[in-house]
Amino acid sequence: MTKIGVLIFLLINLINSKLEPKQFIARQGQVSFFSYTTAENIEAKNNQVLSIIDVSNNEIAISMLMNAFVFKKSLMYEHFNASYIESDLYPKATFKGVIVDFDPLATTVQTRIIKGTLTIRNISKEINIKTKIENINGNYILTGDFELVVEDFDIKIPPIVAPNIAKIISTSFRFEYQSYEK
Amino acid sequence: MSLNAQDLLEAVDKEYPNIPQYELSTFKGTRIAIGQSIENRKKGVLQLAALNRYWNLPNAKIQSFVADKLSARLAFEYGISDNLTIGAGWTSLEEVSDVNLKYTLLRQRKDAKKAPLSISLFQNASYRGDRSEPNSDIGFKNRLAFTSQVLIAHKFTPKFSLQVSPTFIHRSFSFNEVDPSNHFAVGFGGRYRIANHVSLTSEYYYVANPLKSRDTYGAFAIGVNWDVRFLLLQFQMTNARSMVEDGFILQTPNNFNTDDGNFVFGFNAIFTLHLIQKQL
Repeated sequence: MTKIGVLIFLLINLINSKLEPKQFIARQGQVSFFSYTTAENIEAKNNQVLSIIDVSNNEIAISMLMNAFVFKKSLMYEHFNASYIESDLYPKATFKGVIVDFDPLATTVQTRIIKGTLTIRNISKEINIKTKIENINGNYILTGDFELVVEDFDIKIPPIVAPNIAKIISTSFRFEYQSYEK
Repeated sequence: MSLNAQDLLEAVDKEYPNIPQYELSTFKGTRIAIGQSIENRKKGVLQLAALNRYWNLPNAKIQSFVADKLSARLAFEYGISDNLTIGAGWTSLEEVSDVNLKYTLLRQRKDAKKAPLSISLFQNASYRGDRSEPNSDIGFKNRLAFTSQVLIAHKFTPKFSLQVSPTFIHRSFSFNEVDPSNHFAVGFGGRYRIANHVSLTSEYYYVANPLKSRDTYGAFAIGVNWDVRFLLLQFQMTNARSMVEDGFILQTPNNFNTDDGNFVFGFNAIFTLHLIQKQL
């Protein structure tokens, strides 16, 4: 009887562990970028960035539509999509990687490095991004910022507008994750 | 069993909500070359335009600087909403003042609910202020013309767009009774992007029932658009001297060729100001 009891106990535990959420999703992740030059400041924000983290192996994936970036000036939005990012040809930017030494159970704020591959305009770059991870009742918030070099992604900037667009773009992000039920 | 990062990325891509995906930048400007395009300015955007046409007189014995004749147009367009733009302008040729509005009826979509076409409605009312003979004593009502257009465009590739523009023009007055006062025309226009900031454009207007009292020709243009930041420059080779719809569609008195008097060089400078900016 006790053996059966132990077996049932183990089985319940096994089922429980299966139900424990392994993946978390952020559906309204925010990614902003800034271009600071003496001539002009350009800022854009995307509030519809998707991301999933898998806490069983600490993997992270991010995907965003380039035409979902909002600019203060509508003509900048048009130029960004039509002439620089060419979102007709390359609609998405993606990132996939691993959060190094991430402890999903820790309730304190963790600062970790995400190692991964960023793909913009079908050009992939290995990149390390520092992120602050908060665990609020089992849901995670990832924030951070990093820099991108415009030239790395073969974005053509005509000489006449070169003074208005920074060579290095500051990028910041904030993702709020909830458990992911398919 | 754990997914690898590639599978995780595929899982993310399945989570995209159904957000309408509209085609952007079917044409660069609110005019393709000489005629209207489906494009409207967004809410709170003011567009200031200086349009110029230069041509020479045939057999001119005078020494003009650059060109014998110049027709200039100053105009503004303002986005009341993302779908409705109002505008007004003054053109030196025949001293035409005009007001216009353009409404975006349908936008081409590439998501699941596909819409194959972009459609805009354009209405223009023009007043011919020229008081030289034989126009000196005709009344206000007789100086008006109204142009209505249905602008229908399709963006085939990121580089290539075409537009067809069925047009109805009502003129309130003719000097000659044989001339109809209601005209039907259709415009054809296209754009091909040759570089990220440069595109080639062409337009032609066919008039089904042109003026009878004198010979007129279909307005034709080939041109180049160049956009840099908030400035759009459009250059054209054309036979059209007027820049008001009823003027160039119905009353282009010369065909397109390089002869003096027929060849018209066009230069449009269009500047965009964002009076209302979006909140981020």
